[in-house]
Amino acid sequence: MNTAEFDQMLGKYADVVVKIGLNLRKGQRLLIRALLDDAPLVRKVTESAYKAGAVFVDVAYADEQLTRIRLEQADPESLTEVPNWILMRFEEYYQRMDAELAISSADPELMSGIEPARIAKYRKAISQKMEPLRKYENSTNWCVVSTASPAWAKKVFPDLAVQEAQERLWKEIFASCRIDAPDPVAAWSSHVNNLNKYRSYLNGQRFAALHYRGPGTDLTIGLPEKQLWQGAQAEFKNGITGIPNLPTEEVFTTPHKDKVNGTVKATLPLNYSGVLIEDFSLAFENGRAVKVTAKRGEETLQKMIESDENACRLGEVALVPNSSPISQRGTLFFNSLFDENASCHIALGTSYRDTLIGGEDMTDEEFEAQGGNKSLIHTDFMIGSDKLDIDGLKADGSSTPVMRSGEWAVEL
Amino acid sequence: MPTKEQHQELLVKYAEAIVRVGLNLRAGQRLIISNSIVRGVPPAGRALVHEVTKAAYAAGARYVEVIWGDEEMQRIRLQQAPADSFGEYPKFHISAIMDMLKNGDALLTISANDPDTYKGLDTERLGAMQRAHLDNYGPVSALVSRNAVNWCVVAAASPAWASKIFSDLDPEEAEAKLWQAIFETTRATEADPVAAWVDHIKKLRKRADYLQAKKYTALHYRSPNTDLTLGLPLGHKWISAQALAENGVVFTANMPTEEVFTLPDRHRADGTVTATFPLSHAGSLIEDFSVTFENGRIVKVHAKKNEALLQKLVDTDEGSTRLGEVALVPASSPISRRGHLFYNTLFDENASCHIAIGRAYRFTLIGGEELTDEEFISAGGNVSLNHVDFMIGSPEMDIDGLKEDGTREPVMRTGEWAIEV
Repeated sequence: MNTAEFDQMLGKYADVVVKIGLNLRKGQRLLIRALLDDAPLVRKVTESAYKAGAVFVDVAYADEQLTRIRLEQADPESLTEVPNWILMRFEEYYQRMDAELAISSADPELMSGIEPARIAKYRKAISQKMEPLRKYENSTNWCVVSTASPAWAKKVFPDLAVQEAQERLWKEIFASCRIDAPDPVAAWSSHVNNLNKYRSYLNGQRFAALHYRGPGTDLTIGLPEKQLWQGAQAEFKNGITGIPNLPTEEVFTTPHKDKVNGTVKATLPLNYSGVLIEDFSLAFENGRAVKVTAKRGEETLQKMIESDENACRLGEVALVPNSSPISQRGTLFFNSLFDENASCHIALGTSYRDTLIGGEDMTDEEFEAQGGNKSLIHTDFMIGSDKLDIDGLKADGSSTPVMRSGEWAVEL
Repeated sequence: MPTKEQHQELLVKYAEAIVRVGLNLRAGQRLIISNSIVRGVPPAGRALVHEVTKAAYAAGARYVEVIWGDEEMQRIRLQQAPADSFGEYPKFHISAIMDMLKNGDALLTISANDPDTYKGLDTERLGAMQRAHLDNYGPVSALVSRNAVNWCVVAAASPAWASKIFSDLDPEEAEAKLWQAIFETTRATEADPVAAWVDHIKKLRKRADYLQAKKYTALHYRSPNTDLTLGLPLGHKWISAQALAENGVVFTANMPTEEVFTLPDRHRADGTVTATFPLSHAGSLIEDFSVTFENGRIVKVHAKKNEALLQKLVDTDEGSTRLGEVALVPASSPISRRGHLFYNTLFDENASCHIAIGRAYRFTLIGGEELTDEEFISAGGNVSLNHVDFMIGSPEMDIDGLKEDGTREPVMRTGEWAIEV
């Protein structure tokens, strides 16, 4: 791609983000959360947003290097310091029903070598400060997308020089987000229809549990009676329908927080707070992860599930065929937005309110009584492969193949 | 050009001087780094921000926060946002700074702005955007202008700014040359920058003490195209480099700094003054301009370029028709000797005698911090949303100090100090 071609693709990408992802409405304000290196996309999105009738586009840039400097050099006691205004910033936008775009392009190795206890302390302080924002979940149209930042690109394509790695990663992003399709908007509409078919099927089946079998995995995930399968499109409380993740290939719901039993082996590394956790397994009993093992990053993983009382329980179960376009690219992205759309996955921590029927109107107690999980964390990890079989178990004891060898086993 | 290592070494020394002399950051303090003009530090300031952050944690900072701004976002907004939307202003930006200032935390402003950011854009829209900023930023300005906490303004070179100054060089050379100018004028190139600053601060203090003892009632400026008398109110206080903040920290608010300054009486300015340098304001350059005063009020402005912008500035509020600062800088100051404009007040005001349209600093009047706005105004202080410096000094400028008994004494001759300290 030469500069002009790249600029054109970036413009198309920005249009898809604004029109398909956010479905931004005339008169809305937009807050963009980004890293400094995301500036080229931030500016394109800003132009697209004003063209779509935005009245104000604001950007909250962060510099992840400063986070590293802090964790390395600040007094460890001070890592709990989180200024109030960070919370106030979000409340100001959410209360006005403004749109929010987050750009995910972090360096997967940002925190490499930093003492896990420091990272955990820092993460926990932020999660606690942000806790009041949970009540705004899905209240306004939001979307997460990526840019090919230098450090991330270099991690994905270590054999290439930084600039080539960035070009290559941009290609992957554009392809995964269907920006290279002749008509990206039409391509998205047909993709959304396809995901909706699986979503309707699963919502119709009312499975009581899913049973996973694969190398190192024998796991039964109970599903709540009021499970609601979601995928691609979301309806936000401000009345707008959008697509919160670009790319997206998954359909997902919440497990029952007390009904997970067995062992699961991750099939891809997990990047958590800039630390890579590799070759890891978790054993569950009655919903709780009771044992974790990892070849690398075990301490970080252990700290993560101890973040709070329910960080050791699951809050999401998602199905993605192994033949998904992102999986077919054969690249490990070290970024959940991509890797979770290449593979079946589950998440430790909090459940999304909209994955239970009526969940958004329940009190915390009702939500938990129905099987929803409530935690400060929500961390996805990948468990899919071409060797994974999944059965749907019904209350009457019958069993239906849902996936075989990592592919959908249902005809729709 | 210096090597990457040499540049990095200077950057580290510069950052250390900023934290130790400029902010004089105390262990346990938090630090917020921002830039009010473009609502955050431009990304070009990133390398300096990193070194300042390290120096701050080394000095025992409890937390360092950076608010980033993007000039390009402002340009896009001015070109593409709906015409009636320029009142939009995110409150959290103000909350962020107020939250920290009220807590006694330190504030660092890093300037790297492109002087031509808003060149060619609609002045109506620009005016509305600036207006919303000033209206919202008022509470922060108020705390800073009374030195509520230790604060400091410094600069970082950016490609656009450097190319504006050194337009005949290629961008990379221009940037290196601007960095060199910044390092030299802030004494980062000295073997021991902190010691060099201590010495410099002492010298400026002597000039301020001399003027303080004189208690002049007015200053009279004369040059081929200026004849201006500025009254000085009773209780005016001459300030140089260092100040004591309300949080108890002694700090140096500007790096570089070569000026000694106080407030003029808002009711007593008479005559005409011709600016000796262009004024870079709101992203545009106002050039070849003069301002005429009667009883403290600006009654006429004239500019060869961007007169409308100058008039708009004066029309912002009542306080913008009057002055809030008078500062003395010899024409031979190290910044002036560099022989070029910086298109940035932090530097240009330290190359030349200057005055400021708008707000007076509370700390330039004895007891000024304690007064209500009304009391401050009746004591001769000025209150306004603006504080905009412009340069009036030159090697042709003579300044006399007028005493209560009607006698006059030379303060500056042909642009240089005429007093021995």
